[in-house]
Amino acid sequence: MKRDESAALVHRESLSPDAFLLHFESETLSRSFLPGQFTMLRVPDRSDLLLRRPYSFCDSRPENGSFSLLVKIAGKGTKALTELPIGGRVDCLGPLGSSFRLPDDARKPVVVAGGVGIAPFVALCRLLAKRGLTATVLLGGRSAHDLYLRSDFDALGMNVRTSTEDGTHGHRGRVTDLLAKALEEDVPMELYSCGPTPMLLRVAAMARERGIPHQVSLERRMGCGMGCCLGCVVYTRTESGGDYLRSCTEGPVFDAETVVWERDPYPL
Amino acid sequence: MPSINAEPDLSVEVAGIRFRTPLIAASGTFGYGTEYLDVADYDAIGGIAVKGLYLAPREGAPPPRIWETPSGMLNAIGLQEVGIERFVEEKMPGLRELGVAILVNICGSTLEEYAELAGILDDVEGVSGIEMNISCPNVHQGGILFGCDPLMAASVTEAVRARTSLPVIPKLTPNVTDIGVVARAVEAAGASAISLINTIPAMAIDVETRKPRLANVVGGLSGPAIRPIAVRLVHQARQAVRIPILGIGGITNHEDALEFILAGASAVQIGTMSFVDPSVWKKTRDGLADYCRRHRVASLSSLTGELVADVKAVPQGW
Repeated sequence: MKRDESAALVHRESLSPDAFLLHFESETLSRSFLPGQFTMLRVPDRSDLLLRRPYSFCDSRPENGSFSLLVKIAGKGTKALTELPIGGRVDCLGPLGSSFRLPDDARKPVVVAGGVGIAPFVALCRLLAKRGLTATVLLGGRSAHDLYLRSDFDALGMNVRTSTEDGTHGHRGRVTDLLAKALEEDVPMELYSCGPTPMLLRVAAMARERGIPHQVSLERRMGCGMGCCLGCVVYTRTESGGDYLRSCTEGPVFDAETVVWERDPYPL
Repeated sequence: MPSINAEPDLSVEVAGIRFRTPLIAASGTFGYGTEYLDVADYDAIGGIAVKGLYLAPREGAPPPRIWETPSGMLNAIGLQEVGIERFVEEKMPGLRELGVAILVNICGSTLEEYAELAGILDDVEGVSGIEMNISCPNVHQGGILFGCDPLMAASVTEAVRARTSLPVIPKLTPNVTDIGVVARAVEAAGASAISLINTIPAMAIDVETRKPRLANVVGGLSGPAIRPIAVRLVHQARQAVRIPILGIGGITNHEDALEFILAGASAVQIGTMSFVDPSVWKKTRDGLADYCRRHRVASLSSLTGELVADVKAVPQGW
């Protein structure tokens, strides 16, 4: 069930010059979201920020009644959130949207993430670990400080491999180079991806070529998060041909095969 | 005079439709009615104007479709919708259960399409009234083109009126020189009430890329930014016609709603603010009840158009 919860910021971890892991206190939300789902968040008393902003749930600590969000400053909405004082409250509408479907046990889960695209995968890997599964986590960024939360994946026993464009950590190059290498192992696998569109396009093409199931989390500008404003749509193949589906309701997690990337306006 | 503790009557009757509160969900902001069941207090909602419907389903405009502006929201959704057939089969059953008045918002590219939709809805159980979208800025045919021309607005109203016994409520655009002329035209053509305003045609540009923020280039502006314009238009329409007015435009709380009511609205619609805060319904309803108690108003409907024109003595402080 969706709720609108007032949650207090209890802890802020600085991960890089412009990225933070923010921990909020909410007994209900910390227990109720599924990996891949998101919350629409509003910083009250900021009339210059009219609309809520969507954030993927990153992780939760139900024993503390808290959940975390990975926030990179990209505009005034994200900036306001990272400047929230400890104890400051936000309105969190959630949990919203679709979640990752878990792999059948015969397939090896492989996560491909670029930058803050890593956000939804901590919770996913926590669930995998609980089931005794080990995912290969391919984590890419421009530089070493863009490889967020890799120690969390290590702690969960995941097999982490990194790449940076400037060579400051792991493989020098792109995260899709790591994926190409992982694909050489030739074991049945299942892909989970989130990150910049050019990366997702390459991952989708590689998965399609080999017939590998691939779930992708797509972040889009959203007005309501509840399926009503129709602002966040993604063009997808459907039974009736094709349609704009809402990334807040049918998404944010889509079967990558159904996404019509040519009609996607976010090739940034 | 009622006692200060008496529960004020917030229900209103507009064009024969009873609304248990004067708060109506604006078309295009509340889906097909059931989306907010988890988080909004539906007892505070008097009616729902559903997402605009054509005869056939529509894909809508390409994204990006929305952008935030100062105290406002810019959108060009382009009326993505499910079509009348699916609406009646799949959405009406859920809507009927809500116990609120249901305004079905209709749109067409031609006069005949509006008329056909009205004819279909005339037989559908549970429809309280028909809101005619003759003011959408984001479609290339119909929509705002009908609403900007008093003669066309009258023709399409007449065509719809002829095909249904339901209340007919044209939704007007602010994008006209004189709202009174359009309001009088649709009143003479048989409109039971009018809704105003729809969004204001508007635009924003990303200067770094020099691209428009919306794929459609121009969109419609909503939210608190447009409220004073909307209040003015309701006030002017009130002078022009006798039929009731549903006031719309950036309402965020009971004070905003009261501005519209005092300017001449019998009920109001809330849209953008429901995205921002789903508790707006409860807060606004409670705020109206409190206002009525403080001002010893037994029935909210008695406040419609009760603007005090004498501005010689105004309160200090702003």
